[in-house]
Amino acid sequence: MKRPKTTYPDISDILQRKAEGRRDIARRTFGEKIAMMEALRERLAPFKRLREQRRAAKPVRRSGP
Amino acid sequence: MGMKQTLDVINRMEADSVIGRYAIAGAVAAYNYVEPTVTEDVDILIAFDPGHRLQTGLITLGPILSYLKDKGYSDFRKEGLLIEGWAVQFIPVANDLDAEALAAADEVDLEIHPNEGSVRTRVLRPQHIVATALRVGRPRDHLRIVQFLEEEAVDIEALCGVIHRFWLRDAWLTFLRRAGIADPCKIKSVL
Repeated sequence: MKRPKTTYPDISDILQRKAEGRRDIARRTFGEKIAMMEALRERLAPFKRLREQRRAAKPVRRSGP
Repeated sequence: MGMKQTLDVINRMEADSVIGRYAIAGAVAAYNYVEPTVTEDVDILIAFDPGHRLQTGLITLGPILSYLKDKGYSDFRKEGLLIEGWAVQFIPVANDLDAEALAAADEVDLEIHPNEGSVRTRVLRPQHIVATALRVGRPRDHLRIVQFLEEEAVDIEALCGVIHRFWLRDAWLTFLRRAGIADPCKIKSVL
């Protein structure tokens, strides 16, 4: 039995815009990139806390008997 | 609190001769050339000071840590010592590649927030960042090399020279094979 052919949307324009965005960011000055990272680190802090809590909650693996 | 203030403290350390010449290395140095990736710490490559060597031959960061403790910086994160919000890793020059990288580091006036003014600092050049990533060789280091190549952020001739001078040809060829990239240095494989 032949599988029905699925038609997927063309996302090349989305990928192109993302690539352009990355290039724009890469072209920013050193200082602008650091400022951006400092702001990003603040926004990401809750995720980092969650990651650390998950790691802390993991049982410690012991090797050998 | 931020990178400007962190670098002010490090510049003060250099002026007070607690450290010798220094330069920003690692992920933050790469910000000067390519799209930034999130990092928790800033690597500071520092000149080796014979006074920091113990009788055992090991290098001690004791004088640096003691100086910073006196200034109120004693909070350690696993990424490094917290100075004005950034975890700082002081990395002494450990090989000839580090020594050349530090000597050739670029002087920059860095302005992060216009209201703070700028800070003078040094940052490693692209060919040394890439060569160091090649030498360390973790998957994330290889990703950084790909970024520099794709964004044409490294002078290929300068990079090939560093690879040749520091015997990184095998690591380079291994990286290229894994990444599926043609060799811009046209090094003959001996593997």
